[in-house]
Amino acid sequence: MTGKVASQPYKRPPITEAVIAVQFAAPVPADDLRKVSRRFKARYPGEQEVKTLGVHVVNPPGGRSPVTNVQETVGHRRASDDATEIVLFMPDTLIVSQLAPYPGWTSFFTRFVRDWKLWKREISFLRINRLGVRYINRIDLPITKDYVEQEEYLNIYIQLPEVLGPTTSYAAQAVLNMRDINSQLIINTAIVPSPLLNHASFLVDIDISRTQDVPQRDEDLFELLVKFRDMKNMVFEACITDRARELFLR
Amino acid sequence: MIEIARPSQPRAATSFLGRDTGLEHVVSDNTHRIITRYADALRKRPTPGSLEAVDAEKDLAERLFDAIAAAKMLTAQVAMHLDREWRDKIFQQLDSLHDADEWQADDEPIRQGSFSTFLKAMLALRPNRRPGLGLSHNGQLVAAWTTDRDRLTIEFFPNDRVRWVLVRYIEDEPDRFAADTPVSRLGEGLAPHHPEHWFVR
Repeated sequence: MTGKVASQPYKRPPITEAVIAVQFAAPVPADDLRKVSRRFKARYPGEQEVKTLGVHVVNPPGGRSPVTNVQETVGHRRASDDATEIVLFMPDTLIVSQLAPYPGWTSFFTRFVRDWKLWKREISFLRINRLGVRYINRIDLPITKDYVEQEEYLNIYIQLPEVLGPTTSYAAQAVLNMRDINSQLIINTAIVPSPLLNHASFLVDIDISRTQDVPQRDEDLFELLVKFRDMKNMVFEACITDRARELFLR
Repeated sequence: MIEIARPSQPRAATSFLGRDTGLEHVVSDNTHRIITRYADALRKRPTPGSLEAVDAEKDLAERLFDAIAAAKMLTAQVAMHLDREWRDKIFQQLDSLHDADEWQADDEPIRQGSFSTFLKAMLALRPNRRPGLGLSHNGQLVAAWTTDRDRLTIEFFPNDRVRWVLVRYIEDEPDRFAADTPVSRLGEGLAPHHPEHWFVR
């Protein structure tokens, strides 16, 4: 895979959310999670309780009625005053997130290291079973005609036989093994509703993670995150064209 | 090439792949299981910024905080198109509009749909002069510009609708105009009334 890696950050990076997630082999008890969330209050004053629901439907054989299991997970989301810096405490996952405007890797990574150290002071050792970095980019293309030629801006999209005519919507996912860093890359791309008038918006969601031989020592963990970041940059640059780069430089 | 669907937005493709599409009635169980598996794989995991806060019984301060936090997260969606100075000013105005000490018990905090329409309008109009912001009792954001005695007021509603009213004094007589339109036609509607009178410093 080749890609042009920018040496300078873009003036207006299209990153809507950047995430570093550390998943643990065992959940943190609810009381401990609440306590650790409070310890982050000085850094992230706002707190909201968040809930995720997992629904699992089992269809037993023999025409018996399906069995539905609903699993509810409660976590704590803390945010900075401007709500762009977020930390999320879920029972088995610590997530540090940055909403737009993206301040650059150095600032984001430094914040992660700071928060990771505080987390480790509060929570005894937990085995890490997944480390991931996810960058969600939304590329807003101005509409000047009755159609948008996304292939002028993106190298990742769905190509259909010409006889079918223009597409109105799509969503696609590619899963790749990144053997040199023993990790998995998932790219989601889709047309998403644009928050701007007279624009069409395209999602390029890059998720890189490792679930085997996950480093447990801090130095190794940080080193792998830096590798993920380099890989993420390479993947993103490979997914866009120079015309898209021009949009982010204006 | 992507064809632009007008006037409504194209539906996200994933919405055709959900479990509640009735697909199970037209394909075999095995095919349904296979399609559902791939549809699940396509469904993107939520991120910290997209998770909804728990909607339990909340006190006033919590309700106001949730509304402001949601508006700030909506702003983050377009922050790459906003200059930082303006973003900070909008946040200061939002904080001020939701001051718990001044809050009337039956007022509603800002509605996300109204704020989303406001962001669309501001990023399209790009007024050089920033508006004063207000909040109607039912949570709709109102932006106002005043030049001498002339005044332009725009109220932002969910679902991309706006209502604007302007008053301009010509030889000491007020001319009044008003409209209720989709936000996509706001610029077009204001154009005959020389909006630069309010928008340009």
